[in-house]
Amino acid sequence: MTATLRSLLRHETILAILLVIVLAALATQSDRFFTTANLLNQGRLMTEVGLVALAMTFVIVTGGIDLSVGSILGLTAILLGVFWHNLGLPLPAAMVLAVLAGGIGGLINGLIITRFKVPPLIATLATLALYRGLAEGISQARSVRGYPEWFFVLGQGEVWGVPTQLWILGVLVVIAAVVLGLTTFGRATYATGANETGARFSGIGVDRTKMLIYTASGLVAGVAGVIFVSRVSTTRSDMGTGLELDVITAVVLGGTSIFGGRGTIIGTVLGLILMQALKNGLALSGVKGDGTIVVIGLVLILAIVASNIFSREGDG
Amino acid sequence: MLKRTVALALGLSLGVSSAVLAATWTGGDDLPTNPLACDGTAAAPVAKPYDGGEVTNQPDRKGKPIKVVDVPKLIGIGYFNATSKGIAEAAKELGNVDVKTDGPTQANIDQQISFIDNYITSGVDGILFAANDPVAIAPVLKKALAAGINVVGYDANSEPNARQWFVNQAEFNGIAKSLVDNMAKEIGEDGSFAIVTSTFTTPNQARWISEMAAYQEKCHPKMKWLETVEAQEDNVLSFNQATTLINKHGSDLKGIFGMTSVATPASAEAVTQAGQCGKVAVIGLATPNAMKPYVDKDCVKSVVLWNPVDLGYAAMYTLRAAADGDLKPGATSVKAGKLGDLQVINGSEILLGAPYTFTKENINDFDF
Repeated sequence: MTATLRSLLRHETILAILLVIVLAALATQSDRFFTTANLLNQGRLMTEVGLVALAMTFVIVTGGIDLSVGSILGLTAILLGVFWHNLGLPLPAAMVLAVLAGGIGGLINGLIITRFKVPPLIATLATLALYRGLAEGISQARSVRGYPEWFFVLGQGEVWGVPTQLWILGVLVVIAAVVLGLTTFGRATYATGANETGARFSGIGVDRTKMLIYTASGLVAGVAGVIFVSRVSTTRSDMGTGLELDVITAVVLGGTSIFGGRGTIIGTVLGLILMQALKNGLALSGVKGDGTIVVIGLVLILAIVASNIFSREGDG
Repeated sequence: MLKRTVALALGLSLGVSSAVLAATWTGGDDLPTNPLACDGTAAAPVAKPYDGGEVTNQPDRKGKPIKVVDVPKLIGIGYFNATSKGIAEAAKELGNVDVKTDGPTQANIDQQISFIDNYITSGVDGILFAANDPVAIAPVLKKALAAGINVVGYDANSEPNARQWFVNQAEFNGIAKSLVDNMAKEIGEDGSFAIVTSTFTTPNQARWISEMAAYQEKCHPKMKWLETVEAQEDNVLSFNQATTLINKHGSDLKGIFGMTSVATPASAEAVTQAGQCGKVAVIGLATPNAMKPYVDKDCVKSVVLWNPVDLGYAAMYTLRAAADGDLKPGATSVKAGKLGDLQVINGSEILLGAPYTFTKENINDFDF
């Protein structure tokens, strides 16, 4: 256990060093990169991916995956519009119901995975199509617009000088870090991913753990959906398309093993910041969009390879 | 059990996403129409006050070199390659514009917003855009205006107050006139025709059909309207619908309008396979690449769309004029190099001009 802990720390140390190098390099490339306004703005842009990445860390630590998060985000966004605009519910109620709908989407994932023993990759691949199809079917390709001013505070406003949604992300980062790192539930999560059979025989409620985690993943995707609608002031059925890939990249870059049993929230946050800094900093230095994707791919490989070389166990 | 669950889930999702609306509507939409004059004289522009946005604290850019970024809906497709070619051409002619095209590889609202946001931070002087969503892009464009950046749209508009000007590629009545005039030329003033459209409720198509009906009544009153059929934007369905039209109406059918870029080539294919080339004319909205085989075989004589190279070219000239302060709210026209003076319509839009008709002579000059 201590050996695993050490290798975890190693990956995060490498990542932190890499992040500092990248930030320094990008700051020399463009004098507009390392400014408070830009950094806060980047925080705003990465919140949706960040929120979902927190839950995804839990999912991947159990050895699972959730490909449906982008579709849940899209479905939540559409439902928010439908509840408020078509059914005439008050907007706060619509927001709560939409987030709950996201949670139900996650709960269904959890049920399919635990009750019917469908591998998470297949189950969430199916619900990725299912939820996106529902979003498109419900919306009939029409968008809902004209939200009241106060709603935009969530996605476009500021509280004490910091983008509103960054506060939400901050609070959830702390909660996620505490739950995964310090609670029995967190240990059950690691045990499930490290050795599921062993965990079952040790009396850990593996299925209950998984159900809770997939439901939380759906809930958080729902929250991200509401924030996204507020940020762009409209709902569309194609919202969040491809989000799952950005999220999984950030989590894996953060050192969470895709085979389960390893990973930390700190690592995910570092991975997230590194990715966003690269996207933004490279664009400011005049690199075009296609070049940026190439660099992010290279950094991902580099970080994983470096962590494997330095980790003596070599078990990653 | 596993397989059944997955199959059920996939089946459900496919079923929902391809849910088909049955409708019983038979013409255009019910909005008022505004047919153009038969001889093509431009309609007097309806006076409408400027409704575009204002740039805050714009520095004096008159005649000075400016840095411009073009963010289309997506990059790497023929259509937007053509617009950015036009933009680059105009920038070269102007001589004082440094322009580059950059954007998402998928038509994704979130990525497009991030691209524009980053370019605002990097400090460009002007932004050209083709919006993936008119409302979603508005906050970031307003941010650009507030940062003193000139903003001009083309191809796909945003909310008017989020940009200064929008270059409109074609008005509904302009497209309608061009389609009906070409049909009358091919099948004669007393020919009968049918229409293959997407669905009766698709806004653009319904608008075009209404304008076509109004223009045909006004300028080609003897032409006969047989029927309008729905074909989604589905290749096979469009082909089947066109084949049904040919069989059903026989020699009465002289022409088919294709209202979508899918319906037009599919109708041309149906006419070809029925051996009716030269007997049934096909005219429609479509991209040149899809129509080249039929145009080369003389089965289709005219394809109507706009010229995307000119569209980009006009957008660049409009942005330069706005940056120079030559194009102010209330102006009635803007100088756009080789395209001459372009008219200002609808308050803050620049009309590219009459739609472009692709024929055998010019279609091979385009690749999109």
